Amino acid sequence: MASRLLRVRGALRALRRPPPGPLRAPGPAPARGLAAGGIPSDEEQATGLERKVMQAMEKGQDPYNILQPKRYAGTKEDPNLVPSISSKRIVGCICEEDNSCVIWFWLHKGEPQRCPSCGAHYKLVPHHLPH
Amino acid sequence: MAHQMHAYHMVDPSPWPLTGAAAALLMTSGLAMWFHHNSMLLMTLGLLIMLLTMFQWWRDVIREGTFQGHHTPPVQKGLRYGMILFITSEVFFFIGFFWAFYHSSLAPTPELGGCWPPTGITPLNPFEVPLLNTAVLLASGVTITWTHHSLMEMNRNQTIQALTITILLGLYFTALQAMEYYEAPFTIADGVYGSTFFVATGFHGLHVIIGSTFLIVCLLRQIKFHFTSTHHFGFEAAAWYWHFVDVVWLFLYVSIYWWGS
Repeated sequence: MASRLLRVRGALRALRRPPPGPLRAPGPAPARGLAAGGIPSDEEQATGLERKVMQAMEKGQDPYNILQPKRYAGTKEDPNLVPSISSKRIVGCICEEDNSCVIWFWLHKGEPQRCPSCGAHYKLVPHHLPH
Repeated sequence: MAHQMHAYHMVDPSPWPLTGAAAALLMTSGLAMWFHHNSMLLMTLGLLIMLLTMFQWWRDVIREGTFQGHHTPPVQKGLRYGMILFITSEVFFFIGFFWAFYHSSLAPTPELGGCWPPTGITPLNPFEVPLLNTAVLLASGVTITWTHHSLMEMNRNQTIQALTITILLGLYFTALQAMEYYEAPFTIADGVYGSTFFVATGFHGLHVIIGSTFLIVCLLRQIKFHFTSTHHFGFEAAAWYWHFVDVVWLFLYVSIYWWGS
């Protein structure tokens, strides 16, 4: 604890010292936030699940189901695609907008199934989570 | 090893909720011991355990978010909701004390002399130190906004300078208010005027101290490079709390110091 306080004091003293000469070192300015202004960016510093989510979003992917599921026509030709990490997943179908009765059913791998209430088509798309 | 397929944070088991509850029990029973049995031991112990709980719990939150990356966008959204709901609850806490003040001051009883301020009370001049305090807090609102913009613009030096000035202004307010309390010609025991004045401004002062502490923690974290230009919710929460403290003061100043004199 005391060593941490000393380190903070040392850092504060380093901050109070004015930068020598021109404020920027000569040479091409690096694109990294930390080197340029002193504050890191998420690109440099994010870690763990936050980093995985960030990198997936940059590629246009959503492996952790953060965004609303994509809406499909729900017909035989254009079924709702339901991603899953195993061979089945629970689906909750809100047949019409503002319906308060959600139709729950297990969706299994293989042939598309239909909602028992409104008949919309759902197809399981098994995939592996990146790790 | 099983991986979650959601972006939420399932927190590991932690002892701090239990120690927090123990601290609450010790502080409340300790208060009774202090009132009736002339002993501050239980209360002091409760206070110590509460401070340790807060330090370790929030240290763990920082470890989970900054060092382990558990604070994904949905998690951050939840933290935002949480802080907003907490500040809202604090707003209602202060509404209670303003209600008490207006109840007593809008229809002063015969015991007070039928007037407000009550007979015998010399209120503080609102255009002296209280006005300075208003300027100090308003200025700190400006400097904390400067801090936020510097942070988003990746300017480390200005972030640290502006945040330091904000904290100094907060401490200056506390020092001025402490001096006012010492020099005031009336006390908390001086009827309903004293009660409403010191309870309302006293709880506000406590919130200024809490807010300043929160900002100091943010300053230490900023120096240690915890915040990025796009992810710094700890600082945003501190800034929201600080603005709330400022707004409460403005209501206090207009109602109690100015209208109430």
